[in-house]
Amino acid sequence: MELFGLGEGARARLAVVLADVFGESPEVARDVAQFMDGYLRDAPALAALGLRAAIWAILWLPIVFVGRPLPVDALAPETRAKYLLRWSDSHVYLVREAFYLVKAIALFGWGAHPVVRARFAMPLVSLTARRT
Amino acid sequence: MSDIRDAADFVVVGSGAGGAPAALVLAEAGHDVVVLEEGPRVRPEDRGLATSEAFARLFRDKGTQVAMGRSVIPILQGRCVGGTTVVNGAIVWRLPEDAYERTFGSIGARDAVPLRALETKFDRIEKDLSVAPASDALLGGNGRLMRKAAEAMGYRGHAIRRNVIDCQGSAHCLEACPTQRKQSMEVTYLPAAERLGARVIGGREVRTIDVRGDRAVAVRGRDAEGRSFVVEARRGVVVAASAIQSPCILRRSGLGGRKHVGAHFRVHPGTAVMGIYPDDVRIWEGATQSYEVDEFRKDGFKLETVSLPLELAGVRLAGIGESFTRAIADYPKMAVWGVQVRAEAEGKVAPSGGHASISFTPSERDMLVFKRGVKLLAEMHFAAGAKRVYPGVHGGPYELFSRDEVDTLDDLPLDPRAYGMIASHLFGTCRMARDAPDGVVGFDFGVHGVRGLWVVDASVFPTNLGVNPQHTIMAMAMLAAEGIAERAPSA
Repeated sequence: MELFGLGEGARARLAVVLADVFGESPEVARDVAQFMDGYLRDAPALAALGLRAAIWAILWLPIVFVGRPLPVDALAPETRAKYLLRWSDSHVYLVREAFYLVKAIALFGWGAHPVVRARFAMPLVSLTARRT
Repeated sequence: MSDIRDAADFVVVGSGAGGAPAALVLAEAGHDVVVLEEGPRVRPEDRGLATSEAFARLFRDKGTQVAMGRSVIPILQGRCVGGTTVVNGAIVWRLPEDAYERTFGSIGARDAVPLRALETKFDRIEKDLSVAPASDALLGGNGRLMRKAAEAMGYRGHAIRRNVIDCQGSAHCLEACPTQRKQSMEVTYLPAAERLGARVIGGREVRTIDVRGDRAVAVRGRDAEGRSFVVEARRGVVVAASAIQSPCILRRSGLGGRKHVGAHFRVHPGTAVMGIYPDDVRIWEGATQSYEVDEFRKDGFKLETVSLPLELAGVRLAGIGESFTRAIADYPKMAVWGVQVRAEAEGKVAPSGGHASISFTPSERDMLVFKRGVKLLAEMHFAAGAKRVYPGVHGGPYELFSRDEVDTLDDLPLDPRAYGMIASHLFGTCRMARDAPDGVVGFDFGVHGVRGLWVVDASVFPTNLGVNPQHTIMAMAMLAAEGIAERAPSA
């Protein structure tokens, strides 16, 4: 049952975040955001709920962390870097863990991406359509 | 819609390290056996996939199962025909005498579960599953470096004994061996049992056990399409669904008493420390887990290599942007070693909706052991020639550049929230005890107060073993099944 997914806007904003987090090209970051969308649609409901909430918070809470009433993709690059660092290095466990969750799931898509694997001269792995 | 109905002499619930050997022994004794496994059969196309896809197809809750406590700890379990044996590191450890004493000796079960009897089962299993130490070629860069570190520091270590035939060293054990070289249950004991007439059925989740009078007579559940099924057990039900699912089935069925079912949940939580070396390590070549240091086993922890795939290696690295890019760029030069702790803390497991609610928080003593293990791993990395080490503990140094800096790890926090832990060895939730007030199953593995119902998985261990458990589970399940075949109520 599909309860969660990412709309086009959320995917685009998330791709901006992932490009920053992984130091990655916009093309690969977009693919990873697409992967996250598929993951959310297929994940167990409770896990999907937690992940979707964490993504929402990262996309929309610059107001809380850097005092800017903007979505994350509208921040200037330096401000966005500061904002993401406040998530990843937070002393509040739940904040840090929420960011870690998003990063961990995104890494599943990133680490299996053919461009990334080619960069490391590693054999490709099959990441077939999740809903089989 | 009417139920799917079936019947057998023995219904075995679960097809992993407990269920498969038990089914084989019962089939060898000439009984009509059906094995019900919640997860699907593993197809060739399900093997050696990317980590996320393997999680989605072969792991419980698609790899999202966690224990909640002071921190969140992922609990990884296979959910497929063959159970966790399909997705483990193929490590085979004979139960050492001190661990046997702590496990069965401490509860007075030396006569009921004799070490000598377990040893004969170990012999058989090691022959059946082609157990041997990882060859030099399969140590890979990761294992060779840990061996170098152990030798340099004078620690006792050895190549890991594994259940494989002609391993190709693809470092994909955790994603189901892509070449079927791992001798896990779905390619060994389950087909052997099937050749003797046993039926192994995937996609059948057992939810409850029916009891008539004082005797277990059937199991009920639902299949992968959501249809109900009932399987009558003419002689009995053997539960081997893991330390998470077995107590949930008993609890839903109102069996085993309320005090101990799901209580005393014990684990071996682990964490990893990464070292970056001057030359390529290429951890994606060789056995997933190839070398271990057991010098400190009696102190409550064990050190071992674990060749994390790129996806999971990235998870273990803190930092974002340039800091992450710089760290992950060294993945080809990275060695990853883990510490597994025999935690003394106890948690709980209970059914919650369609899932299991798991709670666990390591004790302060457990965290002291963790801290010691992390420091030792950092020292060992430098002893093996690492130029940089990532301890991976929040609040501690992000990276170390020399052995002189290792003492800074003495100041690591003891808060479990600072550590990225994971657990896959699970015990204790249907623990064995001579008398009903003290546990769930007796010395004959039978659930106290119920005839024809046995539990033969890691949930019966009254404590955690301190070594990788699949070998002991298999041997114990064989021993238990021999007794069940002899003494089960007649049909």
